Amino acid sequence: MIDRKHLGRRYGPFRYVVGLEDIRDFATTISGGVPGRVFAGAPADPPHPWHVDEAAARVSPHGGIIAPPTYCVRFAMRPFALACSDPALGIDLVRLLHGEQAFEYGDVVRPGDVVETTGEIVDLREKAGMDFLTVRSTTTNQRGKVVVVGTWKAVVRP
Amino acid sequence: MKSLADFRAGDTFELVRECDRYRPTYYAAASGDFNPIHIDPEVGRRAGQPGAILQGMCTMAWLADACARYFDDPGRIAKLEVRFARPVSVGDTVRFEGRCVAVEGGRVRVEVTARNQRGEDVLKNAIAEAAFDGGSP
Repeated sequence: MIDRKHLGRRYGPFRYVVGLEDIRDFATTISGGVPGRVFAGAPADPPHPWHVDEAAARVSPHGGIIAPPTYCVRFAMRPFALACSDPALGIDLVRLLHGEQAFEYGDVVRPGDVVETTGEIVDLREKAGMDFLTVRSTTTNQRGKVVVVGTWKAVVRP
Repeated sequence: MKSLADFRAGDTFELVRECDRYRPTYYAAASGDFNPIHIDPEVGRRAGQPGAILQGMCTMAWLADACARYFDDPGRIAKLEVRFARPVSVGDTVRFEGRCVAVEGGRVRVEVTARNQRGEDVLKNAIAEAAFDGGSP
């Protein structure tokens, strides 16, 4: 069982510079394509043009390319991943499952954004021999606006 | 471009995605999540799975994509929530079926089921909301 003294343990801040090709790779990969976009044809079901096509995105309500909502894993998952592999908590990753996930979104994410993420262990409990770990992440952008608040829940099987 | 008036409770939408052999590795490269359970079939077997399993966050990305296509604007997604009910393995096909359950207060809310080719839920309690008040700055 994970020691409850780790409740409130914090990770970060972590800075991340959002890249245009990162966004294109992510959008292409979740549409059935291949990151890097070489040695592969276009995905059968193309990504939304506002993630990949600058001309189409320029005339959109956002005025330029935006990241897919769950692209935020690139920067917002780090506190959760660090908590799960934190030697102080001593979790065996083979027994760990991602149990639940929630995101509340603020500002859209664009190429060139500089975002900062912090995270905190907000819940630790044991039930039926299993450990439940919850990390809350908060990411803000260079304008000080919240980009996303993530609630990451892991289950550790006995 | 859809506006709020184009959404009705009861609307439906769907999306199908396949976890092909290299999908967990491709998603690892795109997301940064190289947890060995998603890459190494031996580690997957030690965890009691048939082999490497897909990142839950890839299944959630597919869910968000299904909803974004219905909302007609990925930038309007204000909220996403899921429970990962069962791992997705290489060779699995996931069908997402969404239904609009509410249009109120400038928000469109959908509930989505995600089932594999055996009809088993891979996600539970999957919801998304799009905000139509204001738009992005």
